[in-house]
Amino acid sequence: MTDGSRLGMSQNNHLSRRDVLFGTAAGTIGAATCTAAQAAPNGVEDVVDLTQRHAFYGVAEQAGIRTSPQRNVFYMTFDLTSAQRSDLQILLARWSGAIAQLMKGETIGQVEPTRANGVGFDTGEALDLGPASLTVTVGLGPRIFTDTYGLSHQRPALLRDLKRLPSDALEPRLTGGDLSLQACADDPEVAYHAVRDLARIAKDTGAAATRWTVMGFGRASAGKGETTPRNLLGFKDGTRNVMENADFDKFVWILDGPSWQRHGTYQIVRKIQMHIENWDTDRVSDQNKVIGRFKISGAPLTGTGEFDTPDFEKKDADGNFIIPLTAHIRLAAHENNGGIKILRRPYNYTDGINQVGLLDAGLLFIAYQNDPAHFEALQVKLGASDALNEYVSHIGSAIFFVPPAPQEGSYIAEGMFA
Amino acid sequence: MPLFNPIQSLIATTGLATLLALAAGAGAIAVAQDGSPAPVENGASQVKITLAGDNGGACILDHTSAKAGPITFAVTNKTATAIAEIELQSNNRILGEKENLAPGLPTVSFTLTLGGGTYQIYCPGAKQELQDFTVTGKAAAEPIGSTAEILASGTRGYANYVDGVVDAMVTAVNRLKVDIDAGDLAKAKADYPLARPFYERIESDVGGFVLPGFKATDNAGNLDYLIDMRASNLDEKVGWHGFHAIERDLFQNGRITDETRKQAAELQKNVDTLDSVVKSLTYKPEDLANGAADLLEEVQNTKITGEEEAFSHYDLVDFAGNVEGAQQAFAFLEPGMDKIDPELAKRVTGEFATVKALLDTYRDPRVSGGYKIYTAELKAADAAKLSKSIQTLQEPLSKIAEKVATIH
Repeated sequence: MTDGSRLGMSQNNHLSRRDVLFGTAAGTIGAATCTAAQAAPNGVEDVVDLTQRHAFYGVAEQAGIRTSPQRNVFYMTFDLTSAQRSDLQILLARWSGAIAQLMKGETIGQVEPTRANGVGFDTGEALDLGPASLTVTVGLGPRIFTDTYGLSHQRPALLRDLKRLPSDALEPRLTGGDLSLQACADDPEVAYHAVRDLARIAKDTGAAATRWTVMGFGRASAGKGETTPRNLLGFKDGTRNVMENADFDKFVWILDGPSWQRHGTYQIVRKIQMHIENWDTDRVSDQNKVIGRFKISGAPLTGTGEFDTPDFEKKDADGNFIIPLTAHIRLAAHENNGGIKILRRPYNYTDGINQVGLLDAGLLFIAYQNDPAHFEALQVKLGASDALNEYVSHIGSAIFFVPPAPQEGSYIAEGMFA
Repeated sequence: MPLFNPIQSLIATTGLATLLALAAGAGAIAVAQDGSPAPVENGASQVKITLAGDNGGACILDHTSAKAGPITFAVTNKTATAIAEIELQSNNRILGEKENLAPGLPTVSFTLTLGGGTYQIYCPGAKQELQDFTVTGKAAAEPIGSTAEILASGTRGYANYVDGVVDAMVTAVNRLKVDIDAGDLAKAKADYPLARPFYERIESDVGGFVLPGFKATDNAGNLDYLIDMRASNLDEKVGWHGFHAIERDLFQNGRITDETRKQAAELQKNVDTLDSVVKSLTYKPEDLANGAADLLEEVQNTKITGEEEAFSHYDLVDFAGNVEGAQQAFAFLEPGMDKIDPELAKRVTGEFATVKALLDTYRDPRVSGGYKIYTAELKAADAAKLSKSIQTLQEPLSKIAEKVATIH
């Protein structure tokens, strides 16, 4: 990304990312409209507007799936700590009310209680930061739909644990969970605050405790009409993502079954560690072959523009496929997978430096699909043959059913308690 | 009190109607409210409180007055995402309340017997947080057995508990000193963990004592420092003192020296001082609640980390001491809390039981002090589990202080 070299046009209250992040916004709104320099290379203005907000309540899917990917994610899973059905209800209801507040950029309660012995409801660090396009998406893990909570009969038809996949190197401490929160925002502190305060509610109700978490930055996927961002391999990620309504209906949303599940979807999360220092010393021609695209343009090796359709049959003079048989984009392409597509909404992450002194980083891969078997089919193929496997390890994994958005006056998944 | 439009039904204000109402600046939420006292059913006045999200959130009473006697408040959160609890107060004292209110959850109710007078409905998070509620009829005298009296009685019981703990500490420290004076390393090492848990049970009550003639910032006069300083909060100017100086000599250096004997004598003297000081202490209900919360912070900060007993690794003994002290403080508040917020009281009681059950799995009668040694391996394997059990107790426990706090 080239944020540093770009001064976004500021108009209609849109502050450029540079303005906002460098804290000069208030003083330069007027000036920026006059001196604003250049738009992004492709002509699309890529700005962050921290006053933007999304609606929590609705009649279809939850926000944070189709929503244009925000810049940052704070993702956390939880274990249920109560066997009481009512505790789970209270948690989902309190989370829903709180998320509605947070997505408006408001506190979830008092920050500084008037009583001296009071304890703040809201931890306060997001005061005055604005909604920052926050979305918090709630997922329900397989163990929710058991006799413990009287919910066996409500289990979404295709919800189950993922099968073991080739190249799985899963660490138990980064795997599973009974509930998930995916908080995305254009300000990392807003996303962090949301999950932090929702985790307090989980403890307060006694219903759930934190399990594993990833803080992600630099969205590694784009919404419709946006510039395709890059993952930590330096390549564009998500060029051929699900974008069109028809594809969302076909591949992402659950459109049958009980009404409380309709416009739900399955969230599959993989923590994919990237051995980026090895990758960085790989010659560029090999990197391009591993991915199947040119690094800067993002064009398939058989084309010249990012959105050119890859030609998987094309061979070079020596009779070799130009996009190698083990190239990532060939193995993942819908043309080579019976037409299957999944919605990818990944973020980059870093965990600092690992025990042997290497940069510890990777991709928090979050995918949405209406059948977990679709992801499995792709990953079986990628896990077995992808040239990229030399540079990545799948170290964390979880699956959740993401119910639709609640309507005002209701809460997430209220219908399953009926 | 704001005026409410009595025509529009509540249900009609959701969705589009809400938008229109807000756009018009009306903020209309409609509940019949004509100033009449609440109707009496089943021997209790019935007041309905509706929480709605319009205009920044509001708690709307269908009746703002009732006759003296039993009054049932039925609370329904329709759409107020900013409001999660409601209280009935009299002069800042909480008489009854409901928590965990969120849109979509069923109606909950609480019943109080109130004498004539003006009370307040408190809705933290609402645009207007306080509103009056009038009870007509005979003002109730503060009855014997009122919540305030029950709480006050609890604080006296707790003061006795603290006295007893410090008396036991005096005995255990004397025994440790005898071992050290005799140069009996094995016996001193065995008696060290037996002397430890007492201070951990009550340290939140005695953390602030400064010996006469010292400034509050001078650790040389800080009784807590002199008794319980750790390597991690060592003040180089004041040096090593107390339990952990002795722990270092016994468990790291493996020797009893003249310096050890000097430390033991000083510890004994300071514990005696503590014993005389605590006898004069009185407590307010919120002191017990805040003290319990502080002890759990101690667990998180210094026991689960293995920092407290860095040389002997008897951290789980101290852990159990902190938990017992917190549980005792809460137990003395529980009869009052049962009146103010029985659900929260039950939850905290349940979480204490969970923590105790977890701690029981670490018991080892072969080890002096009664708990497993908190080795690096045990810490690596179990610290997260231990921490989570305390975290789940900390959140609800942290809410008690403001509920039992009395006005002064």
